Amino acid sequence: MGSELYAYGLLAIPLFSATLIAFCFRRSGGIAASVSIGAAALILATALHLIFKVDNFEYNASWIEIGSFSVDFGFLIDDLAKLMLFVVAFVGFLVHVFSYGYMKEDPDRARFFGGLSIFMFSMLGLVMASGLVTLFIFWELVGFSSYMLIGFYLDKPSAAAASKKAFIVNRVGDFGFLIGIVMVFSHFGTFSLSSLSAIFHGDATLLESVSVTAIGLLLFCGTVGKSGQLPLHVWLPDAMEGPTPVSALIHAATMVAAGVFLLCRIGFLMTADALQVITWVGVSTALVAGFTAIAQRDIKKILAYSTVSQLGYMVAAFGLGSLVALSGEASHGYAVISGGAAAAMFHLTTHAFFKALLFLGSGSVIHACHHEQDIFRMGGLAKRMPITFWTFTVALLALIGTPFITAGFYSKDAILALAYQQSTPAFFCLVLGAVLTAFYMIRLWKIAFLGSPKSESAEHAKENGLVMTVPLCLLAIGSVFGGFVWAYPEALKPIIEVGESIAHGEHHTTVAIFSIVAWAIGLVTAWFLYQGGAEKDPLESGVKPLYRIFKEKFYFDRAYDWYVAKVQQPVAMTLHFMEQIALSGLIIRGMAGVAGLIGIGLRSLHVGNLHQYLYWFIGGLALFWALAVGIF
Amino acid sequence: MIGLEHYIIVSSLLFSIGFFGVLLRKNTLVIYMCLELMLNAANLALVAFSRYHGGMGGNVFVFFIITVAAAEVAVGLAIIVALFRKRQTVEVEELNTLKN
Repeated sequence: MGSELYAYGLLAIPLFSATLIAFCFRRSGGIAASVSIGAAALILATALHLIFKVDNFEYNASWIEIGSFSVDFGFLIDDLAKLMLFVVAFVGFLVHVFSYGYMKEDPDRARFFGGLSIFMFSMLGLVMASGLVTLFIFWELVGFSSYMLIGFYLDKPSAAAASKKAFIVNRVGDFGFLIGIVMVFSHFGTFSLSSLSAIFHGDATLLESVSVTAIGLLLFCGTVGKSGQLPLHVWLPDAMEGPTPVSALIHAATMVAAGVFLLCRIGFLMTADALQVITWVGVSTALVAGFTAIAQRDIKKILAYSTVSQLGYMVAAFGLGSLVALSGEASHGYAVISGGAAAAMFHLTTHAFFKALLFLGSGSVIHACHHEQDIFRMGGLAKRMPITFWTFTVALLALIGTPFITAGFYSKDAILALAYQQSTPAFFCLVLGAVLTAFYMIRLWKIAFLGSPKSESAEHAKENGLVMTVPLCLLAIGSVFGGFVWAYPEALKPIIEVGESIAHGEHHTTVAIFSIVAWAIGLVTAWFLYQGGAEKDPLESGVKPLYRIFKEKFYFDRAYDWYVAKVQQPVAMTLHFMEQIALSGLIIRGMAGVAGLIGIGLRSLHVGNLHQYLYWFIGGLALFWALAVGIF
Repeated sequence: MIGLEHYIIVSSLLFSIGFFGVLLRKNTLVIYMCLELMLNAANLALVAFSRYHGGMGGNVFVFFIITVAAAEVAVGLAIIVALFRKRQTVEVEELNTLKN
């Protein structure tokens, strides 16, 4: 049996499940949930088989061929794809199981589980795609499923607006991505990732050309949109309008990380200039999102900004690491994968574990508190929901990079080590980002879980059932051990090993000291600033102007609103007006008018008298005869 | 001696009679007969030319014209008969219902 059958299987299972739910079980939520969870389990099993028992392979089937233009549909299963497959299948399965408990009372859950299946289909296709065109198709499909699931609560106007926003903002990024793909084809004549990689490895001078820089940056636009980088990050916090398991799976662990995955896939065509831009986009995203998270009150918004900030870390890691590799200072033997991609993927993996856990934990909290999301109205949940509390704490410790015992510490260290090697300003920005991470997470933790309950719903909160707590525990294990190479099976090791070796590089003591100090500063400040179960944020009255800026999310949304209302709308109105006059009025109506006039003229010829027609006929004949003999 | 020119004169006369008959007469049946007259004028000219040149091309043409004309008569007369049954008239002035 060919290896590609497993890949086809991975695509067929969720597609079949989604089709079945869409056509047969729209009204029966219980069956739909079982079908979808069964499909997720099957996906996990197939993916594990593909990862551990099947060698790396590439498979291409000719799909479209027009002259010299050809598009293949195929799979590229390498170490990178295998690691990502593992993350998607594992986290995906746990989120499916968790959703069974979380969505239990929702009458529309068939639609929800159908959406999850469609998402799994698109995401797996994206991960396995061997060419840019196939990748782009699945890229748009994940965007579609994300749109569908963000807007799951149809009757909530805010959810509808959020899903629309996510779609439109992603369009902006994807447009650049698409132009980039077209430019790749016009320059190199192929969409295949492996052929492109061979072209770039064969000719080192390519990396000095300006057009390649442009291609790299255009492709990066896709990442900016999908992975919520500045300035297109605005959709991701709003996407939290969707059900919490969706936030965990799509908007924390997998889909938003697809942008980082894309960068690692096309890392070979990034020039030094492009990498500088990418690095600083990542660093500024990490900082801006970190600051914004400090002033949010909604538990999911805080986690969303934290996700944006961590994605900034990954993008920065990719940029910094690839710069190191380009400048030839690499000392890690990057035979398998470039250091930047390894560090980014390392952080992506650990982040997938602990951020999915944080979101599922917050989902557990929200479920228990009857959809209360304001942390200042929670408080005292530690005693009422012990399992959620402890697993949430583990994930939180991992996210803030608690030294030595959590996954986040090692993956963040790898990124900081690369920054230390490459660029001092980036290094200090990222350290500041680490301080912020510790600060806002401890703030969330103390206010929501400690102290006394601040609202009725928090008072009556109860621990959820096993179906929700078991996924939490499994993810908690991942959050702790995801940082150690020995915890990974052989097939997933190559990338993690490179990532870990960066963290243990030559400057590791300095970097670790900075990282621990950052962690401690953030933790201690937040610890003393916030009282357990506080009702008000002391920063709000303390540093009012700054707090306002953070609370208003650096006015990004305001700026976009202003732009849409004051710039885009008038331009659109002008164009509409011109269209009405010129196109509709002159050309379309004008043509119709001319045809109508001719019609009126010709109608008068129609008299109903046979002899009249005969004279016309003879006249016509005479005209043709005259033309034929050349009188005219 | 009757030469080619005589035939052409007769043929032209026949054609003219047919032509003006079509233009001026009001009765559909007569118009129809005039149409046939024009066809036969052409036939006569073709046969005469064929004889004059000593080839068979003109005769072959004539056979085709006769065949087509026979078919045409079958269809055309049927239409006229049907028309008369429906309207009780074959005068073209009264056959202008398409207009109004």
